[in-house]
Amino acid sequence: MILIKKHIPLFICFLVGVLTLGSYYVPNVHSENYLELMNKWENIVAGFAFLLGLMSLFTSHFHKISRKAPGWGYSLFVYVGFLLVVVPAVVSGGKPMIGPDMTSLGWIYRFVFTSLSGTMFAVLAFYIVSTAYRAFRIKSPQAFVLFAAAFIVILGRVPLGQMMWDGLLSWTGYQVTDVIEWLMSVPVVAGRRGIMIGIAIGGIVTALKIIFGIERQYMGKD
Amino acid sequence: MKNALEKFLKIDRRLIFLALTVLLFAPIVKPLGLPNKNLGKDVVNIYNYIENMPERSFVMLSLDYDPATRPELHPQAVAVVKHALRRNLRVGIFTLNAGATGMIEDIAARIPKDIAPDKVYGRDYVIMPFQPHPVAVMTQMGINIYEIYDKDRNGNPTRDMEVMKGIKSVKDMGLGICITGTAMLDYYVAYLADKNKFPMAGGVTAVSQPGYGPYLQTGQLKGLIGGMKGAADYESLINDVEKGTSGIDALSLAHVLVIVLILTSNIIMLVLKYL
Repeated sequence: MILIKKHIPLFICFLVGVLTLGSYYVPNVHSENYLELMNKWENIVAGFAFLLGLMSLFTSHFHKISRKAPGWGYSLFVYVGFLLVVVPAVVSGGKPMIGPDMTSLGWIYRFVFTSLSGTMFAVLAFYIVSTAYRAFRIKSPQAFVLFAAAFIVILGRVPLGQMMWDGLLSWTGYQVTDVIEWLMSVPVVAGRRGIMIGIAIGGIVTALKIIFGIERQYMGKD
Repeated sequence: MKNALEKFLKIDRRLIFLALTVLLFAPIVKPLGLPNKNLGKDVVNIYNYIENMPERSFVMLSLDYDPATRPELHPQAVAVVKHALRRNLRVGIFTLNAGATGMIEDIAARIPKDIAPDKVYGRDYVIMPFQPHPVAVMTQMGINIYEIYDKDRNGNPTRDMEVMKGIKSVKDMGLGICITGTAMLDYYVAYLADKNKFPMAGGVTAVSQPGYGPYLQTGQLKGLIGGMKGAADYESLINDVEKGTSGIDALSLAHVLVIVLILTSNIIMLVLKYL
């Protein structure tokens, strides 16, 4: 039993991991064929992952409704929304239902999904502006540096800010775009590069741990 | 005086929301027409790269954004498609984001109407269907594109299309541009551009623009369009005023409001401290 539950999965993981890693660096017809095969499999598995995600979503909301958990009424909209999108699409067979060239899915996308997504994202702007007034307090030298950088970048990114800089701060001898260019290409890139290198090293270590069977969380508890 | 300032510091946030609403709506109703003089260097780099490409070169345009980021990214995509087709380049539109299909529909409907009415589908441009697994698709595009994109979004075989003539993988393409509100551009750099020495550029939201500085410095990205300002810059370069340019007035006022609010609240705080 331990052979099926532990050793074979670990061996498959090791073999696929080493072959895939090797194929990335070896430009060879066999490695390309191998990668093509794996790509097809990955795409198929990803398709099934969508289905699995849908089932998981439905199950979790079903439990919420059956337990009458707080806010369970909203869970009903998961099913209502799903049916409203899928049923007309299946019934129409992907053919236009509304007008000469509008499918039901296209209508829902354009007039429901687009509006809702846009609204949700736009609300962020209101909270950012409100928070800027209520929470951005310059109480330390570090906060002042953050403010100074934000002030220049926010101002310099738009024409009105650039005009204000030219009117009020042209005596400094620097164009706002020059200052932004320096900020973006020196301190920002330095910080970002450090983060990227850290993430990359973390990713490599985790991948090696999985390939060599040190990290086995993906196998479950058994 | 002190009480009045403290009261002002704790102003009802709905009044701030109202101020922002007015500042966003006013320039949409009556545009201010602020001059967009300082064009972004990275935007100009993409423009120049496309300008210098030989005619009928293939541009891979991966549109990976959904309606949430439409105001910033859709004008970028429209401007790039316009520029590429006007330059008589071949354009392949791809997506690895399920939410982007409607955005692509919009562009597909506009190409024969006002973007490039003289261009023919299948000869000058092609639209590929959504594919679910980005890393697998990108790896495959570096080997043989037809193993994944053997049919276009309408189910027509792509191998025989004139637009795909001479294209087997991204190594045969002239440029790739990924416009996205996610980390898709990072994946493109890692799995497609670097490995296949494929020139790649991007279009991203303003908030994620600073994160791509390292790629621009190393030349892993040939250029970058950032946010609505980037879209407005590109529209200026191709002399075509659209949503990017019209939105820049509202963006200007909103940015200035943020600065004014931060300054006001901190000045009040200082006055209260030393009063």
